[in-house]
Amino acid sequence: MISDAARRRYQAIVPPHVDDAYALARWLSGDPADAEDIVQDAALRALNALETAKVERPRAWFLRIVRNTALTWMAKNRSKSLSFAGGADDLAAIEAVDFADDDGSPEAILIAAEDGERVRRAIAALPQPLREALALREINGLAYREIAEATETPIGTVMSRLARGRAALAKILEDKR
Amino acid sequence: MSDSDPRQDRLLRLNAALDDELDAAHRIELERELERDPQLRASLRRLSAVREAVRRHGAPEAAPAALRDAVAAIGRPKANGRRIPLPLAAAVAAGIVIGAAAQALLFSSRAADPVAAAMVADFARAELSDRPFDVASSDRHTVKPWLVAHAPLGVEVADLADKGYPLAGGRIAVVGATPVPTLVYQRREHWIALTELPLSLGDGALDARGGTLDGFRLVRWADRERAYVAVSDIDAAELSAFAAAFRAAATAGGGEAR
Repeated sequence: MISDAARRRYQAIVPPHVDDAYALARWLSGDPADAEDIVQDAALRALNALETAKVERPRAWFLRIVRNTALTWMAKNRSKSLSFAGGADDLAAIEAVDFADDDGSPEAILIAAEDGERVRRAIAALPQPLREALALREINGLAYREIAEATETPIGTVMSRLARGRAALAKILEDKR
Repeated sequence: MSDSDPRQDRLLRLNAALDDELDAAHRIELERELERDPQLRASLRRLSAVREAVRRHGAPEAAPAALRDAVAAIGRPKANGRRIPLPLAAAVAAGIVIGAAAQALLFSSRAADPVAAAMVADFARAELSDRPFDVASSDRHTVKPWLVAHAPLGVEVADLADKGYPLAGGRIAVVGATPVPTLVYQRREHWIALTELPLSLGDGALDARGGTLDGFRLVRWADRERAYVAVSDIDAAELSAFAAAFRAAATAGGGEAR
């Protein structure tokens, strides 16, 4: 049984962040229907966790649950993309992004940015850890320390993932296609 | 940041500046670097362009209303860790009060039925509300006096706990302008709302076989004095079984229950 205290905390913490949760789930899953399932699962997990959890930053706390739920969900429902959920391939892909190599032109990126479909494909092509860091920053507007909490990584890692994520996107968008 | 590469370091700081995460001292330092380093300025424009692209095309719309409702419902006592089926939440979000056209469609076998519509609307509203009962109690000696005091009808409160339908509470529903007493029984994670109606309201649309309106199941019946409507989201067979159990208990325990 869930206690009344947990329910009250749930009502204060979870429903106000449903838009953020949905946005993140869509970024991570790439699918609106999957995103709804993920957010509902995450909300149930949050309710159960609130029996004991100490929550200092509600949004980062709930988004961490959404993120973990999304990863579990995708591993279970999409075995094909399993290797993209934080496995060894993923880490190699991240290391391969050299964010200091940035001789391209901002103009080429701005032109590519006109094409929404192209931007979405580029985002989808990012390795999962880079994509989630960018989503939490650009879409959810989280501060670095909140991103660190939501992804359970050190702030230094958050910083380099954001730098790598942006560099990787820039590279993809600059490619003339 | 294990990099000793000064160029990587500068780019990390550039990203941090873009994200408004640099303290004042580092910010001033970076601004000076930007003034004398055209390559760094180009990098900043490039990062800004990427940000612009992401924000413009990456931002999805707000959560759908059905999801919003479902997430809110999860925290309410009724939900109890149960998932709310999204189509149901969507139906409720789309309109708690069901239009006559929709009714005619769903209830094509009979004319538009305002009583059924009112009962389903009441059930849906209670399902999603903070106050599913006006009086919450499993004790019929608490529920009955409350209902009697608030509605102009005698109330039949049957004890069905041993049949698997514990009493959860009661509330007043409204049909047209008539307040009608409604008992709420529990079946596992579901509620069953049982409303007692004057014969003038319950007459004419009796259907003990049950029906479906907007995803909810209804069963109706009447005795010589009253009409009854049971509404729930359990399946039709279970709701019929509930109705049979209630009728049997009401008949058997008539004197005591009334």
